[in-house]
Amino acid sequence: MDRSKQNKYSSNEKNDNGDGDSVLNGHFDGMVKRAAGGPQAPGAESAPHRSTSAVMESWKEERTRSLEDNEMSLPSLAAAYTTILRGLGENPQRQGLLKTPWRAATAMQFFTKGYQEKIIDVLNDAIFDEDHDEMVIVKDIDMFSMCEHHLVPIFGRVHIGYLPNKRVLGLSKLARQVHLLYFQERLTKQIAVAITEALQPTGVGVVIEATHMCMVMRGVQKMNSKTVTSTMLGNFREDPKTRDEFLRLIKS
Amino acid sequence: MSTKVGDIVEDFHSNNGDRITDKMSTVHRHHETSRKESEDESRLPALEAAYTDILRHLGEDTDREGLLRTPLRAAKAIQFLTKGYHETIDDILNNAIFDEDHDEMVIVKDIDMFSLCEHHMVPFFGKVHIGYIPNKKVVGLSKLARIVEIFSRRLQVQERLTKQIATGISEALQPKGVAVVIEAAHMCMVMRGVQKMNSRTVTSAMLGVYLEDPKTREEFLYLSRRT
Repeated sequence: MDRSKQNKYSSNEKNDNGDGDSVLNGHFDGMVKRAAGGPQAPGAESAPHRSTSAVMESWKEERTRSLEDNEMSLPSLAAAYTTILRGLGENPQRQGLLKTPWRAATAMQFFTKGYQEKIIDVLNDAIFDEDHDEMVIVKDIDMFSMCEHHLVPIFGRVHIGYLPNKRVLGLSKLARQVHLLYFQERLTKQIAVAITEALQPTGVGVVIEATHMCMVMRGVQKMNSKTVTSTMLGNFREDPKTRDEFLRLIKS
Repeated sequence: MSTKVGDIVEDFHSNNGDRITDKMSTVHRHHETSRKESEDESRLPALEAAYTDILRHLGEDTDREGLLRTPLRAAKAIQFLTKGYHETIDDILNNAIFDEDHDEMVIVKDIDMFSLCEHHMVPFFGKVHIGYIPNKKVVGLSKLARIVEIFSRRLQVQERLTKQIATGISEALQPKGVAVVIEAAHMCMVMRGVQKMNSRTVTSAMLGVYLEDPKTREEFLYLSRRT
């Protein structure tokens, strides 16, 4: 496994020992941090004992890319793809490949359009006040992403559960595809944190099971292998029964 | 008879002009390859530079830890995914054709196939089912799967891939008939564009008796689809 990936994972592990609140000390575009976990949470924010965590760095890196940027970078992206075609021994002038650099460039921009949207913006429009405090689960959400190590697709399913604390989220917002060049572990965490920030629920659970084409199409070439990652925050982490219920319900 | 299949193959070549003939002639007739393994090494820097460009123009920071070696890995990955360009059928089949007095259908099905769509450079993958009726010559079974590999590890169009596998086998074995069916999911349809998750594309190529005799074709289709 790539060393950098392993380091990130272990630093995540180390820093997850505290309660779920500490995750919120991530810098989400400088927004005011509120402690997760609803009314039971301590009034003051917990000390940033994970200030050097890789997870927090990744939140800082969220940047946006405007539509104009897209337009402007298209020619250079297309030129890069033409170079790649030549480098593979193909003839970019043959009929089937004539417009491929442009199509590939637009496709790649589409696959990484998460860079144009901040998760928090996507979610913010659809938050409603509702007096519901039972578990809400949206499961089997198809997800497509790119592996940041090989630039090869990852696809799988996301299951999200949360315990609302007077605020619920429009369900289709959860189901929007997240196109980002990220590790699966980071993506899982990012979704959980975004929901926590937007709703301040009593707890959030996110499970992603995905197939990595970089493992299937090359390298070890294991056809049926799936990678599963999960993030549990708040009640989902502290109360085994809640976690159990969530995991059982997403299995069926 | 094998001459009929030979006729069909000839027709196919002349009808499909440069596209297939170039590939087929270079691969089969002149034993040449468009890319040799040693060239791969020398082309790596250019590919790497191209990928670095791509990442930058997508708005990524190529100096961040997770991306530091990504251009190199992506370049090697795409070379692997297109390694079919420097493999020929003759190389892999040389020792594995056997004289056998068998003239019943042979089917190898559910061969996993991975390829790259030549229009978007995005993967498409699925299963290939191959059937052939030997004419005194049978081929080692795994060679059929290797033939699939040669043609699928390229920038491809599913229709062409199906036909290339079929003609490749018929040229090598001169069998009484060859049938190839491919059922695949195209990521360019699933991940972008129309975004239809469960749609599959099915293509087939029938040569020789599979083309002429509906009963033979039916038997193949029945046996290969049955799970």
